[in-house]
Amino acid sequence: MIAVKYFGMIAEKTKTEGEEFSFSGMQLVDLLSTLEQKYQLGQLSFSVAINQKIVQDTADYKLKSNDIIALLPPFAGG
Amino acid sequence: MNTTRYNRQIILPEVGVIGQQKLQRAKVLIIGAGGLGVAVLPYLTAAGIGEIGIMDDDKIDVTNLHRQVIYKSSSVGKSKVLEATAMALELNPSIKINAITERLNHKNAISLFEQYDIIVDATDNLNTKYLINDACCVTNKPFVYGSIYKFEGQVSVFNYEGGPTYRCLFPDETSDFRGCNEAGVLGISVGIIGMFQANEVLKIILGIGEVMYGKLLVYNILNNEQQKFEFSKSTTVTMDKLSFEKKYVLSENPIFEIAAIVALKQINNPKVVFLDVRNSDEYPKMAIHSCVQIPLDELEKEWHRLDSTATLYVFCQSGIRSKKAVEILMKHNFENVKSIAGGAKKMDKIGYNKTASVSNSINN
Repeated sequence: MIAVKYFGMIAEKTKTEGEEFSFSGMQLVDLLSTLEQKYQLGQLSFSVAINQKIVQDTADYKLKSNDIIALLPPFAGG
Repeated sequence: MNTTRYNRQIILPEVGVIGQQKLQRAKVLIIGAGGLGVAVLPYLTAAGIGEIGIMDDDKIDVTNLHRQVIYKSSSVGKSKVLEATAMALELNPSIKINAITERLNHKNAISLFEQYDIIVDATDNLNTKYLINDACCVTNKPFVYGSIYKFEGQVSVFNYEGGPTYRCLFPDETSDFRGCNEAGVLGISVGIIGMFQANEVLKIILGIGEVMYGKLLVYNILNNEQQKFEFSKSTTVTMDKLSFEKKYVLSENPIFEIAAIVALKQINNPKVVFLDVRNSDEYPKMAIHSCVQIPLDELEKEWHRLDSTATLYVFCQSGIRSKKAVEILMKHNFENVKSIAGGAKKMDKIGYNKTASVSNSINN
């Protein structure tokens, strides 16, 4: 399994703060495109953290079982 | 220095008289006298920070009062900064408060930041956060960040002793996010996040604890969950005085921007190429005959598809990404490139459809 956590406007769009997916050896980009199709994240910009660490190069990142992926958009209010 | 006033913090071994003297010598600039700013200001004032700048050009609105709790009902319509200054001086007359009733921009940022030790971001929009970040990088000042989305808040310290910056965490400047005015907010949320920011300021000055650099704290007030995410310095993002001027002077220079209504008049001009830098799934679609689509993300590797001698009018959804595209193209020696102000939304609003059908009928 892998767990995905959502924050801010992303959580609003997904209507949940998190969910689990069965892990099938997919790469991070595959997961992100699955989420894009499922939720139409479209123009929402976000950074991705895996196991509490921000990943700067998402293109080649290989996920492992039990990874926790967080989608972190910037907040603007104050 | 009147130490009696500060006795209860001086008796903390981590502070002491020496710590109090550090606070008294410190100069902190708070940008924004809204929800976050008015949470940070009284605590820094009461703690005895020697000099505090508070900057905002806004006036107090009745809809601010539920969260900007230092303002009185009788102060609606008055300057936020002047009211905040009066409150702070009454709270602690022994410190210096600089009231700055202007808005931060690329022209005043650098000279202003140079006069302070720490910059506190209490603003409510992403553009200003990038500007604060960039000016902090140029002047080498720590940037104490705080931000809210509804019931969640983010806190971090950027550019601390050369550490990671806001751009290392959020490199994508093109997103368009709602602030409190549009999304809604509780006074409590800005109060809590403002307290985290004030706490980071005191830790930086006193040299105690762990300053929250290279980490993003996300706090959710509905379930009290608090998480920290680590991030490191990106090697691809740098900002020095030269790149600062290039970025801001260029993008604010009107000669690189064109009004949508003026651009649309050239819709039938075969010498003008319209460049759509939106992603293919964005609406409204523009039925412009001489229109090329290259999403901004791909422009850096696809720019050679364009004729660098042609006149290019670049647009996106609202005119932010297209400015970035103009920067990229100018870097590759394109000469006649302009960003369409307001982007596709603006063109759609002023009725490009009518113009486009004329264009189509001519071309058919």
